[in-house]
Amino acid sequence: MLVTKYVITSSESNILPSDIAMKIYGSKYDVTVKETCFGVVINGEEDAINALIKEIRALDPAGIFIKDRGFPPGDPRRCRGRRGGGARPGFYMIEAESKMLPMITRAMASEGEVLAIAEKKKPLAIKRLEEIIHEDLS
Amino acid sequence: MIRIAQLSCGSEYSGIQQEIERAAQTVGAKIVYPEVSLDDILNVENTFGVSVASGDLNLAMARAVRIVQNPDLADAVIVMTCFRCAEAAIIRSEIRKYIHQHSKIPVLSYSFTERTTAETLLTRMEALVTTVKFRGLLARERQKGLTAGIDSGSTTTKSVVMRDNEVIGTGWVPTNEVLKSAEDALEAALKTAGVAKEDISAIGVTGYGRFLVGKHINAKLIQEEITVNSKGAVFLADAQKGPATVIDIGGMDNKAISVQDGIPGGFTMGGICAGASGRFLELTAKRLGVDITELGKLALKGDYRNVAMNSYCIVFGTQSLVNSLALGCKPEDVAMAACHSVAEQVYEQQLQEVEVKEPVIMVGGTSLIEGLPKAMEELLHVKVRVPKYAQYIGAVGAALLVSGLLED
Amino acid sequence: MAKVIVYPPTSMILSDLVERMGHKALVVPQAVRNLVTANEIDSPPLNVTPEEPKKGLRYAAVDVPSGVRGRMSLIGPIIEEAEAAIIVGDPGWLTGCAGCSRTNELVRLLIRTKGIPVLDLSYPTNDPEARAFVQKIKTFLEGLK
Repeated sequence: MLVTKYVITSSESNILPSDIAMKIYGSKYDVTVKETCFGVVINGEEDAINALIKEIRALDPAGIFIKDRGFPPGDPRRCRGRRGGGARPGFYMIEAESKMLPMITRAMASEGEVLAIAEKKKPLAIKRLEEIIHEDLS
Repeated sequence: MIRIAQLSCGSEYSGIQQEIERAAQTVGAKIVYPEVSLDDILNVENTFGVSVASGDLNLAMARAVRIVQNPDLADAVIVMTCFRCAEAAIIRSEIRKYIHQHSKIPVLSYSFTERTTAETLLTRMEALVTTVKFRGLLARERQKGLTAGIDSGSTTTKSVVMRDNEVIGTGWVPTNEVLKSAEDALEAALKTAGVAKEDISAIGVTGYGRFLVGKHINAKLIQEEITVNSKGAVFLADAQKGPATVIDIGGMDNKAISVQDGIPGGFTMGGICAGASGRFLELTAKRLGVDITELGKLALKGDYRNVAMNSYCIVFGTQSLVNSLALGCKPEDVAMAACHSVAEQVYEQQLQEVEVKEPVIMVGGTSLIEGLPKAMEELLHVKVRVPKYAQYIGAVGAALLVSGLLED
Repeated sequence: MAKVIVYPPTSMILSDLVERMGHKALVVPQAVRNLVTANEIDSPPLNVTPEEPKKGLRYAAVDVPSGVRGRMSLIGPIIEEAEAAIIVGDPGWLTGCAGCSRTNELVRLLIRTKGIPVLDLSYPTNDPEARAFVQKIKTFLEGLK
């Protein structure tokens, strides 16, 4: 079965989408590749794609992320050039998660060392709020 | 190419996106999606006024803001959300109002199900495109020369002959065979006008049968009933300048059109059930044993509060009709209750989707059933105008508009 | 290897972490792919055909909007297949497959009432949170068969 995957690089990764594309062009797999602003879209037989993903990940193990895509690359049903502009709705989720990738990359590279997390702020105790109101308004 | 911006939630997951695009293509338009950023979506509470739990509605609102900021992005807007979604119904209505208030772009609002097809959307899209494409023609205020109009409706076929801004002949027949009925209606109109068919310079056609009839009689104008009826309404009610609201309760469906200077700005078309149409009044008249032309006068003598009637569904409506008669309710009260019920359905289902601005003009055959405009007046708390020739509204609009094509 | 459903059901970060740690991530694009690349459909749809909302009746009644039922026809079978789940709380930018909040509520409910192991998280906002996020996912996935 032909499958399509996004290969998305963290903005702090040294690997560029063009590096990934070159890697694929130079590989033995029969896979099509399309460069985008955040990475590349690859399409090919499932086995070939899975094998290729291992090689691509090796370029930067903590800085490259893979996501499934339903539509083949450049599909006219999804291509914004053919569909009256505007990003497809799911694009915004990729954009939002992409912004988190540097954090995730650093977390994965930290080898399990967990830092102390500042406790989330809780609402002020009602009694204390009452005191403040009395102090400030008296 | 007319660009219709689609602001929607749920269409791609209802399986009808291709139907929307097919309908647009059929009327010579293209669906476009205004470009917005992730930040535009996240800031929609500040720009539009609210953000909701469903992200696709926030995206639709962000796109509405973008269109208002840059009206060159689209020629018309359709706001579409899933039928039966409360969250979407609120936002759909607010987006429609927002575009209406902040731009001059015509808006169509619609709630769909998985059964919505291109055919259901076609008349609505055609009207939307007409308001953009033929603005000049729709601005025409006077009929010139000798022209005829035919309104091939679902229940009746109407025709008029007009000369120099006056209606000089009318014809009205039940719709049986579409073509034959159109010919009969036109013949009747020609006869009362005292003119020969050969003398007519051009014919305009509207209504359900417009394509078939238009082709058969070689009409110069074949146009959907939303733009044609609103034009006919403001012409006959002498409200061509400024705002107006046109209500047309038909034999099969209803239209509510918000008009500005004779051009539709927003409209709805539909009706959940024939219980909200002229068909229910026809049924009531039959049950009461009076002619449909007498039902209105009878209703004026009655009080709807004396009868429990709800025609949300024509089957249940008929049931309450039968029950009320069995309980010994007065025929005049039953007649008024039927009028009130139909008016109430239109008020609840359609008038909530357009801007109701005075004058409110009621047209179509049902407007002659006096109880109906009265019931509408009570619901809207405004005076309702029923112009002369209200039942010929589509035919008048077609005869008027087609005369505009003669000069070109 | 366990089949792990992730929520949001299209999350790149979650599905990547699941796959990278040797499990199978169940995500909506796989279901969309089956429909939009199916050879037996004459005119492949944009996401779903009008038949999918009817198939969605398995998960929600007819008075539930068509967009919810259409999405459920894609997500429902994935929930049925899932052996574990990772749920990240709504970050406020879910669109497309996850753009309908009513669907998302039903999805979370069906996952939680299925009786499979569930890991609940929030998207990280800083490095310490990101490390805890990755560690919790790692520990959770290592605990699955």
